[in-house]
Amino acid sequence: MVSRLGILTYVALAVRNLIRNRRRTTITLLTMMFGIATLTLLSALNDGWLSQMKTNFILSFTGHLQIHAKGFEASQNLRDNIADPDAISRYMDTYPEIIGWTQRIRTSGLASVSGSSTGVQIMATDPEQETWVTSMDQNVKTGVWLRPGMNKDLLLGKTVAQNLGAKLSDRVILMTQRPSGEMISEVYYLRGIIETGAPQIDRTLALISLDGAQQWLQMQQAVTDIVIRADHHDQTDTLYRLFVQQLSEQVYEIMPWQELDPMVRQWLEFSDAYGLIILFVVILLVLTEILNTMLISLHERQKELGVMIAIGTQPHRIFLMLLFEAVLLIFVGAVLGYLIALLVVMLLADSGIDLTDYANAFEFFYMDPVIHPQLTRDSALKILLATLVAALLAGIYPAWKATRLSVSQALRIQ
Amino acid sequence: MLEDNQSTIIQIQDLHKCYWVGTMPYPALNGIDLEIHKGEFVVLAGRSGSGKSTLLNIAGGLESADRGEARILGEDILKMGNSQRTGFRLANIGFVFQAYNLIRVLSARENVAYVCQLQGKSKQESLEIANHWLHEVEIGHLGYRRPDQLSGGQQQRVAVARALATEPKIILADEPTANLDSTTGRHLIELMQRLNQSLGTTFLISSHDPDVKQAASRLIKLSDGFIVNSWDEETKPPVSLAVTCPIRNRPFGERLRHFFKPHRTADQQKKQGTSRHS
Ligand SMILES: Nc1ncnc2c1ncn2[C@@H]1O[C@H](COP(=O)(O)OP(=O)(O)OP(=O)(O)O)[C@@H](O)[C@H]1O
Ligand SMILES: [Mg+2]
Repeated sequence: MVSRLGILTYVALAVRNLIRNRRRTTITLLTMMFGIATLTLLSALNDGWLSQMKTNFILSFTGHLQIHAKGFEASQNLRDNIADPDAISRYMDTYPEIIGWTQRIRTSGLASVSGSSTGVQIMATDPEQETWVTSMDQNVKTGVWLRPGMNKDLLLGKTVAQNLGAKLSDRVILMTQRPSGEMISEVYYLRGIIETGAPQIDRTLALISLDGAQQWLQMQQAVTDIVIRADHHDQTDTLYRLFVQQLSEQVYEIMPWQELDPMVRQWLEFSDAYGLIILFVVILLVLTEILNTMLISLHERQKELGVMIAIGTQPHRIFLMLLFEAVLLIFVGAVLGYLIALLVVMLLADSGIDLTDYANAFEFFYMDPVIHPQLTRDSALKILLATLVAALLAGIYPAWKATRLSVSQALRIQ
Repeated sequence: MLEDNQSTIIQIQDLHKCYWVGTMPYPALNGIDLEIHKGEFVVLAGRSGSGKSTLLNIAGGLESADRGEARILGEDILKMGNSQRTGFRLANIGFVFQAYNLIRVLSARENVAYVCQLQGKSKQESLEIANHWLHEVEIGHLGYRRPDQLSGGQQQRVAVARALATEPKIILADEPTANLDSTTGRHLIELMQRLNQSLGTTFLISSHDPDVKQAASRLIKLSDGFIVNSWDEETKPPVSLAVTCPIRNRPFGERLRHFFKPHRTADQQKKQGTSRHS
């Protein structure tokens, strides 16, 4: 005998049961909504500041990808240089993922102003090209950005300038070694002061133009870094793989931004783990709540379920009905919660959440004191998946319990 | 299935049923022999705790037994698997319970139609059948009400309509009037009696309501799990606990407990055994 009572009938029964217990359904829905909304919001905040941090980090200095001569990142020695950067730069126009690139020379040195001196990271870059890769030019707080052709221009990080007591137009003497090891020094004029917000940069940066530096260091066309900015963070991996294919790993090292600053990577990993823990805790709470509701509801309806089985309902249909109830509760709640969070995210996306009052702690990690929440597809999927798993777990157990109901026992309940 | 001229609907032989309360066995049915024929209106009477519900539940395939046979329409319902039993109930047996018979979120006619739909009829047809049977039980005008908008007596009528809607060979009713006042109860019984006569459906009703007993075409008296001929009949010779309550049928949880606390439970069992059979 085939029953015509299709799935729809049991969905309808589930819906009616939920409506009958209006108060319990409402409370459970609110819990669900609150849980999922909280989860989504926290996740959006997390994603927002992570993405912000990545952007800040990448824009302030490193770019998405750097190509060095093999061993340079470890040795920081000018002898490990790329002698023929044109061999690489011809790729730059062929990949649409690249929106900007520049060449740099990085080396350590000493800066002195009228008697006081301090260690600096000398960085030489192309004044034009650099603006396509990082936002250093916009971080010039006093003075001007490097001017093309003006090879005596120098920009200093804010802290360096403070430590030296240097003012605009001051003569600053830079001292360093050529690749040959010969010590050299040269006079520059302070044209601007840069404040990136990243302390290790502001504390050490001495920026000059690439052309002048190549002459001063007698390096001809050679550079130490080729720095690439991708259109989007997610394209870093693609570009990385492209360059790994094209360039010999005997000669070059190709480093994505995560590798260029292990601290940042650790921080990002930590923050991912932290996100997972929040996900886990919220889902656990929600699951407990739904499970509790379903078990109470099952207990209250034992007699009715007993009657349904007695008059000929196959237990697996009872299973379906109860499972629908739980899944419906969870999904309606989750969707509502998600929509609320989405609304809040949209409202806050532009203005952001201003944490200026607590900002001291944030400055350290390339963070703006204003967080712009942002929902990524990844976290949306994660939340969706977790909700689904929770729905099934919280639904299956009570539904399974119902199929094990002793009918005769249930019928004795008055 | 049974031909019309075969008149035995229920045939119960040597039926034993034992309940376990903790580690203590409690025999509820001690060897029941019973035969019910087509068209009978049988009332099962007995004090509270005499085993009426147990007997009905076993006959209806809602409960297992420890020993014996329960042939319904020639098939031993005790030998069927769970799902087969459910199908068998749907096809052949109508149930009316003491109270709270109905699915609370469905209207009266949806409750009746539900079983027809379970049988594979279309929703439309099922609702028509439901209307018909609600008229038969004289509450055709209340079809759109939900159970909580009906009186106890009306609810029981809906339950009777539902039991009949599948056109079963037999209706098992466990104290259908116990929650009703005597007039309402009497009306319900008269209704069932009338349906029994007009449709020929066999009824097996348990009750301690005198009105129900009067309506019976046959009265079966149940006392302490035995069928007796009169209420003051001598107690039957004791039945061995080992027969009614074989240890192997003890629920698994109880067996575990027994395994971990063998001394105490063994003592208790001895005490229980002697007090029961001396
Ligand atoms: N699940 C159970 N566990 C233990 N004992 C049970 C259980 N169900 C019933 N019993 C016992 O079995 C005996 C028969 O119970 P049953 O419900 O069949 O009696 P009844 O004749 O229907 O009584 P009533 O008129 O009160 O409904 C009773 O003594 C009861 O205590
Ligand atoms: Mg009873």
